[in-house]
Amino acid sequence: MWLVFRKELMELLRDRKTLFFMIAMPILLFPLIFGAVAFFTSKAVEDAQSKVLHYVIEGAEYAPLLSEALRESSEFSELSGETGSDYKVLIREEKLDFVITVEANYAEPLLEGGQSKVVLIYNDAGLNLVQRRVQALIDKEVEDKRRLAFEQLSLSESQQQALLSPIVLEKQDVADKRENWGEKIGGLIPYIVFILCLQGAMYPATDLGAGEKERGTLETLLISPIPRHKLVLGKFLTIALAGVTSALITVTSMALWGLVLGQGMALTFVSEFMGAIGALDFVLMFLMLIPVVAIFASMLLSLSIYASSFKEAQSYMGGMMFLVILPIVLATLPGVTLDGGWAWVPITNVALAIKELIKGTMDYFALVGIFGSTLVIASAMIAFCVFWFNRERVLFR
Amino acid sequence: MIEIKGLAKKFAVPNPKKLSEQERKDPRLKGRFFHSVQDVSFACGKGQVLGLLGPNGAGKTTTLRILSTALKPSAGMVEVNGVDVLSQPLLARQKLGFLSGATGLYGRLTGRENIAYFGRLHGVPEARILQRIEELATLLDMHAFLDRRCESYSSGMKQRTAIARAVIHEPEAVILDEPTTGLDIMATQTVLDFIRRLKDEGIPVIFSTHHLDEVEELCDRVTVIDQGLTRFDGDLASFQALSGDNLHKAFLTCLGKVEPLHQQGAA
Repeated sequence: MWLVFRKELMELLRDRKTLFFMIAMPILLFPLIFGAVAFFTSKAVEDAQSKVLHYVIEGAEYAPLLSEALRESSEFSELSGETGSDYKVLIREEKLDFVITVEANYAEPLLEGGQSKVVLIYNDAGLNLVQRRVQALIDKEVEDKRRLAFEQLSLSESQQQALLSPIVLEKQDVADKRENWGEKIGGLIPYIVFILCLQGAMYPATDLGAGEKERGTLETLLISPIPRHKLVLGKFLTIALAGVTSALITVTSMALWGLVLGQGMALTFVSEFMGAIGALDFVLMFLMLIPVVAIFASMLLSLSIYASSFKEAQSYMGGMMFLVILPIVLATLPGVTLDGGWAWVPITNVALAIKELIKGTMDYFALVGIFGSTLVIASAMIAFCVFWFNRERVLFR
Repeated sequence: MIEIKGLAKKFAVPNPKKLSEQERKDPRLKGRFFHSVQDVSFACGKGQVLGLLGPNGAGKTTTLRILSTALKPSAGMVEVNGVDVLSQPLLARQKLGFLSGATGLYGRLTGRENIAYFGRLHGVPEARILQRIEELATLLDMHAFLDRRCESYSSGMKQRTAIARAVIHEPEAVILDEPTTGLDIMATQTVLDFIRRLKDEGIPVIFSTHHLDEVEELCDRVTVIDQGLTRFDGDLASFQALSGDNLHKAFLTCLGKVEPLHQQGAA
């Protein structure tokens, strides 16, 4: 078995395609995605922030401070001669960025004039930050008006606070940070890891089954004095190792590049979050991946050996991807928890367990059922694979 | 000694309606089964070379695949030096060296690695593998390309490497399925010389071929198969006698395309 494994591994590592899909792509893909997203997002925000916004103000006479602030700011430019035009058309044509209409009571003190309304007409599609930039100017005036009103009323600091927020709802969340984030992203992590395991194992599986058939090497191997189960196990181990390696490289790459490109903010959160998860939980997550990968590897090898060509194997495996996604999606649905029947549903139970481990709410006794059921299924799949390798109709299709 | 008696092999045909017109007319198609080999018997003794002849689709490859243990027969007996291929396939594989129709080399491994891998699978000790590779490389003139990856090999290089791989474990009997197909004159001669050497060492060799000159040059015995049945099994002299030394005519006689010499004389 190890002889077959060593040879398959050696051949696999000499294949540029495999190396690319298994190692280079996960390493390069994530920095590219992170980098591209970070670059284009920051550039778009920067552009939107620094763009000089063209505006028209109606009722400027009622808001002298606001109109002065707009005029004096280098971030805004008043469009003259457009008064009375169809502003909505001008905004859609991008000749104008926004229009604000001030009501007559705007300038009056708060206690006399009451609430005043400012209408902002703008195009909210796309990243333009118009509302945020106008709101910043108005907020400053709101603060001044409020302060003057409170002074007129001779209210103490605490009365002012009570008036602004008569009732405060103070949240006391029993879920700690880890559980909170675990609930939010815990369902996503098994999804990514499982798909990567499957993806990483697909190419080697195709090559080791259908590829051997197509190249004519399988027949020679079948007549060598090695029992079929050892032959299958050698191939199976290679495929499983490729899947786990690919997933590990991808996840490590994702984490590292996320930290590097996250620039500080993500660093604190990620390190806090990762620090909260114990080493034992990581070990358990990895251990649970092994039977899952075993299920994937044996399924892929069975499909690959059944296929009469590389192309046929690839089409079967495309269909298998959907089959795998279904139980993972089930684990992300609300109400699906790691108890009762769900603890026995293959793949779903491991996805749920990984989520629970991330959240820190794992009932470790459930692991017995998970490992038990997953191992039984993985063993049955491997046994089927061996049976498949003994079928003439499969081998000489 | 390799011995085959009353060999038969049928394959299930899932949907006979999908077969071509010609395939449906084949008398070996009976219901949902295609009887690829119906009744084949022959024997090849120590130091003998047996040429297995037959038109395409006659059942030669299926017969050789059964002999190599890749396929299980539906009926009949196959023995290699007294070992029953059916009941002791692993032991039979140790005794056999088999070269399939496709050279079947791992392209990303070098010739040396390919040969050594099969040596290890056969349980040959590491030191003997190294020694044996050197011997075979010299015999088959492989030194120039032995450490290059097989994906860059020519047909001749591939075939020589495949032959070396088939005999790395010093088998007691050798089966070669069309070993010279697609080879140039030089490579063909190297392969034929190697078969002659095996014969000299007392190893029984069965090889299928379409080249009657090779049969004439090497074979002690000839077996002709057609429609999954043995049409002729005997020594080379008897085969030649079928049509007055003309092997081509002798072959066609076996297939019933030409009348036997004695009948021609009678007519």
